[in-house]
Amino acid sequence: MNALLIIGSPKGKTGTSYALGGALLARLAAAGWETAVMTAATALSSLEKQEDFGRAADRADLILFSFPLYVDQLPAPVIRSIEVLAGRQAAKNQKIAAVIQCGFPETHQNQPAVDIMRIFAQKTGRGWAGALAMGMGGAVGRRPLDKAKGIQKNTVKALDLAAASLASGGDIPEEASVLFAKPLMPKALYFAAANFGMKIQARQHGAGKRVYDRPYD
Amino acid sequence: MNMTILNGASGDGRGETLRAIASTVAAKASARNWTASTFDLEAMDIKPCRGCFACWLKHPGTCVVKDDQEPILKAIAGSDLVVWLTPLFFGGYGPTLKKALDRVIPVILPFFIKVEGEVHHPQRYPRNRALLVFGTQSEPDEEAGRIFHGLVRRNALNLNGIMTESRIYPEEAAPAEWTADIAALLEKAKEAVS
Repeated sequence: MNALLIIGSPKGKTGTSYALGGALLARLAAAGWETAVMTAATALSSLEKQEDFGRAADRADLILFSFPLYVDQLPAPVIRSIEVLAGRQAAKNQKIAAVIQCGFPETHQNQPAVDIMRIFAQKTGRGWAGALAMGMGGAVGRRPLDKAKGIQKNTVKALDLAAASLASGGDIPEEASVLFAKPLMPKALYFAAANFGMKIQARQHGAGKRVYDRPYD
Repeated sequence: MNMTILNGASGDGRGETLRAIASTVAAKASARNWTASTFDLEAMDIKPCRGCFACWLKHPGTCVVKDDQEPILKAIAGSDLVVWLTPLFFGGYGPTLKKALDRVIPVILPFFIKVEGEVHHPQRYPRNRALLVFGTQSEPDEEAGRIFHGLVRRNALNLNGIMTESRIYPEEAAPAEWTADIAALLEKAKEAVS
C-alpha cells in the first residue's frame, strides 16, 4: 500500500503540519506502507513538478493532507493541489484524509476546512477517510511528537488509533478525532501564553515598540 | 466611503459573471462618489505566504515578500467596505482569491482577543468595516453553498466585520439576477459603516 503526505504549510518539514502529518505517515510506514512526502507549494512551482505531483498522487492508496488553517480554510497552495487532483482520474479505491490545525484554541474553527476536504474527496470519486483537527496548534511546535509527553498524550494516542485503522484499510475512527480535538491546555492559559509569547518574540526581534505600527495610515 | 474589490475570477473563461459583478459594484460605488480600488487577482503576481510572521514580529505591518500584494494591503487598511468575488471551490474559495487572502496577515495584529466567545485577532487598522462576498457555482450545490456561507461568517469574525453578506449566483447568471441585489447590499453596507 502507498501513502502520499502533502504538507500544506510553507514551512515544509520544519513546521507543525509535518510534525503531525509526518508522525501519522511514520506509523503507516511502520505498518509496511510505502510512503512519500511532498510540500504543496513546491509541488506546484512548475508544470514539470506539478506533473510529478500528479503521478505520485495517482500511485497513492491514501493521500494525506496536513496543513494549518489559513483565513479559516485551506491555504492557497492546498486549494491549488486539490484543483490539480480534481482534474485527474481518481485511482481505484483511493482515499483522502486530512490533519488540520489552527493557532486559535477552539478546534471547531477548523470545521470549514474539514468540510471542504470531505466534499472534495466525495465529489472527485475518492473515498473520505476522515480528519484529525485540533486547535492550539501553536503549542505543538516542531519537536518530534513521539518524544513529547504530557500535553500531547491525547495527540499521540489519536495518531496511533488513526494509523492502526488506516493501515488496515479503514477510516479515521471517531475516537481518534475526538482525542485529537481535545485542548492541549486550558484555554485561558493558552490565550495568555500566546499573547505574552508574541510580545517577547517581537521584543527579541527589536520590534517590541513597533508591534502596533500602522505603516499604511 | 472607501471600498476594496478583490476579484478572484479565474482566467479559464468561467469568470465572466464575476467580472461583470465586479464591474457593476465598482460602477455603483462610483455613482455614489465612493472610492473603489479594484484588483483583478488573476493577472497579479502574488506569491504564497511564507508563514514567517515577520509582518507581526520583525517589521510589523509590512510583508517581507515584495510583489503585487502591497497595494492590496494599503487599500484594505483604508477600506470601509471589502468585496470579495470567487467561484466556489468545493464550498470554499478558489485559489485566485485565496492567494491574496493568505497574505492579509499584515493588516491584523498578532495578539488574541475574544469575539463572540471565540478567540480571534484584532485589526491593525480598526474601523467599522463591512464585508460582501460573491460566489458563483456551475451547478446548484446546497452543501457547498452552506459551507461557503458559513466560511464567510467565520471570516467576518476574524475581520471584525460589522456587516457581512454573502451571495451565490449561477456561473451563467444574467445581470438581472444580481444587479438590484448589489444595489441593496451597497446601501446596507453604507448604513452599517456610517
